[in-house]
Amino acid sequence: MRRVTYYLSGILLILSLLFGAAGCSSPSASSSPLQPKQRLRLATTTSLYDTGLWGYLEPMFEQKYGVELDIMYTGTGKALEYGRRGDVDIITVHSKTREDQFVSDGYGVKRVPFAYNYFLIVGPEDDPAGLEGLTPEEAFGKLIDTDQGSFISRGDDSGTHSKEKAIWQEIGYDYETVRNAGPWYIEAGIGMGPTLMMASEKQGYTLTDMGTYLTFKFRTDLEVVVDERVLELVPIVIEGEILLNVYSAIIVNPEKASPAKMEMANHLVDFLTSPEIQQLIGDYGTEDYGMQLFIPHAGADPEQD
Amino acid sequence: MDAIWQGLIKALQLIISLDPEVLEISGRSLRISVTSTLLASLICLPLASLVHFNNFPGKRVLVNLTQTFYSIPTVAVGLFVFVLFSRAGPLGGLNLLFTPTVMVIGQMLLITPVLLGLTISALSGVDRPIIDTARSLGATGFQTTLLVLKEARFAVTAAVIMGFGRAISEVGIALIVGGNIRGFTRVITSAISLETSKGDLELAIALGIILMFAALVVNILLNMQQQR
Amino acid sequence: MPLIETADLCQRYGENDILQNVNLKVEQGEVFALIGPTGAGKTSLLRLINLLDLPTSGEIYFDGTSIAGSARPTIELRRRMAFVLQKPVVFNMSVYDNIACGLKWRKENKGDIRGKVDGILEMVALSGYKDRQARTLSGGEMQMIAIARAIVSEPELLLMDEPTANLDPASAAKIEALITDTIHRYNTTIIMSTHDMFQGQRLADRVGVLLNGQIQQSGYWRQVFESPRNEGVATFVGVENIIDGLVASSQDKIVTITVDGSVIEAVSDSAVGVEVCACIRPEDITLAKSKTSSSARNSFAGRITRIVSFGALRRIELDCGFPLVALVTKRSAEEMELDKGKQVYASFKATGVHVISRQGNDPD
Repeated sequence: MRRVTYYLSGILLILSLLFGAAGCSSPSASSSPLQPKQRLRLATTTSLYDTGLWGYLEPMFEQKYGVELDIMYTGTGKALEYGRRGDVDIITVHSKTREDQFVSDGYGVKRVPFAYNYFLIVGPEDDPAGLEGLTPEEAFGKLIDTDQGSFISRGDDSGTHSKEKAIWQEIGYDYETVRNAGPWYIEAGIGMGPTLMMASEKQGYTLTDMGTYLTFKFRTDLEVVVDERVLELVPIVIEGEILLNVYSAIIVNPEKASPAKMEMANHLVDFLTSPEIQQLIGDYGTEDYGMQLFIPHAGADPEQD
Repeated sequence: MDAIWQGLIKALQLIISLDPEVLEISGRSLRISVTSTLLASLICLPLASLVHFNNFPGKRVLVNLTQTFYSIPTVAVGLFVFVLFSRAGPLGGLNLLFTPTVMVIGQMLLITPVLLGLTISALSGVDRPIIDTARSLGATGFQTTLLVLKEARFAVTAAVIMGFGRAISEVGIALIVGGNIRGFTRVITSAISLETSKGDLELAIALGIILMFAALVVNILLNMQQQR
Repeated sequence: MPLIETADLCQRYGENDILQNVNLKVEQGEVFALIGPTGAGKTSLLRLINLLDLPTSGEIYFDGTSIAGSARPTIELRRRMAFVLQKPVVFNMSVYDNIACGLKWRKENKGDIRGKVDGILEMVALSGYKDRQARTLSGGEMQMIAIARAIVSEPELLLMDEPTANLDPASAAKIEALITDTIHRYNTTIIMSTHDMFQGQRLADRVGVLLNGQIQQSGYWRQVFESPRNEGVATFVGVENIIDGLVASSQDKIVTITVDGSVIEAVSDSAVGVEVCACIRPEDITLAKSKTSSSARNSFAGRITRIVSFGALRRIELDCGFPLVALVTKRSAEEMELDKGKQVYASFKATGVHVISRQGNDPD
């Protein structure tokens, strides 16, 4: 029996060593001199990841503050849920109404917008439903009325999905009705990039943010991309007040997450809104795509026209 | 077809040129799964011996239950571990979510039934007279257990390798509790899942080839060991 | 003090009594053979003595200490014995490692182990097999290893369960030689079981006959062989003629037993009117073509019903009003031109008849 006790304590020891190691590398144990690198956890909307923006900014931030930035790639809905559970320290998302709710419920410290761009409806070049030139609201109305052409919805509770639902609501449709409207309405349940790929495969329409669309449409790194996989989708509806897409960062309430990381989370917000980085965000992708993916807009929501 | 060929060629180039990202992700996958398999074995082998060598009410039920859990969906384990280790969960204070450690724990949970069940049946394969002889020659219970494990070593190793195979090929836990963080918790399977959805098939294919290669090596080792 | 003593040992498995009230004493240095047919309970008794199983009731004393106790003293006590199972069992490792097992478990130092194992390997003439995988050996060699593995730890008590049962005659002979060697070299107390009573005779000082879970008789082999206590023992020790009868008269230890109208004379203490069995070994019966005046008190005419060849012997079955079996050599059978249906005269001495009281059939 004694041997068994020894044995089990041995396993516990190994496990605790592992736990210990993890503890050291996590910011909660940042006071430990052995492992100085803090880890900051960020959950981001897929569009900021698929465009490569975070991949571009991450090393700069990490170098500047000597921190490991752990980036979780997920939809806005899941990012908010991670925040509510306190599993991440900071989130970057794009769904104003839900963000305000998140902050007023006490899960987030404050909401800091740092960039925006526009959503657009993309679809196959031949535009089977004839949506070109319509407003987003008219386009959605025509889609559901005429049953021409399919629509691929993110269906994942993301910011883009929220926006889509907002448009349906705007034209007086209950979302449940839309979901069950017919086989033309497809819920993908995946990130923005994959949804675009799916829409391209199925030659359907979808609502996308400008950044992700441009990234996937004009990936110029031909070393890697095989021609056949270039997105066969073109912008169909690009104008409309409702298509404004604001990205903001929210520090998760440190009482929910980790108080020790509050400072670093603040650093990240300062970083995103610093003139230097704002400039970089504004320039990001312009060389490759010939146009801005994100319009820097630190601190406040852009005025709607 | 052309796309597949080109993808395959580029993937092979990635592997042959020892692309740092491919190496890093593969190395991490191996590290995490080897760790979880070893730790799970350290727990399951003695536990299986305890179950095998002792009679207690509910033993059959336990063994049947174990077998039921052989094919437990990885996402179910992932969800369970997520709820457990999320900061709002009972073990949230450990601050382990989205770390390799919690992936190890998740994989341990995932492969425990397989390891336990297969080890128990491996031990059952050892003839009763072997055990009697060991005891009659003055082996203590512990020494007898070691001997029986040794006698069943091929089947036990097979169980461990099965466990490893299941650990390294799972994606549910890696995504849900690992978070697929680049450079920290991204492993072969979660990377394949991400890269495929992003359309970067080359990296996905390269990693897929490595995963299959790992499976092949493991199987060859198993065969070699069993032929000895 | 006996090394092993059992008191009213009982073993029940489900509804079946495997062992009933076994009382056995084996002295230090003695070689004791448990003989009995398959299924008599020999293995169960050995397992109880080796503490592999616990008895349903009763006591076992090892060197004066009761050993049906808790787990802790069990291992210490068990390490003073060794048990060789009926089926040759080797572990899946080298011959050397197999033999070294018990010593390693006793945590003896490496040098000692090496010396002892090498010594034993030499004794069993398997030194050349030291590094062979034990599983690749023949059955006889495996049993050799099993015995070597048991005796290398120099047990005070060596238990062996039918050590030659599954082996070819040549291997069996080798094993017997090894056992004899062990007896001479180590002066170990041995309890072995066998269904071969002649093996018991060859190897053991004393034998115990185990039938249906009970020790029917124990004693020196000659005693058991010549004076079986009851019909069961008599049958097992090879008495083929067991004839039921009634004691009709008794005078100066000479009794007459009436059997289906015939009268058999025998030497016995039995009283008149007692129901008895007359036991006559077939080799004690002589056959003749005509009625001769031999010194044998009993002589019966009988017809041959069957002849069975037995190597150099012929087993002749007769009908003399009661069935009788005789053994003759092949040569005399040919000389007498024995054949089925022929009439012959069977005669045997009164001292060749062992009389067992049928009332006194209880074992002790």
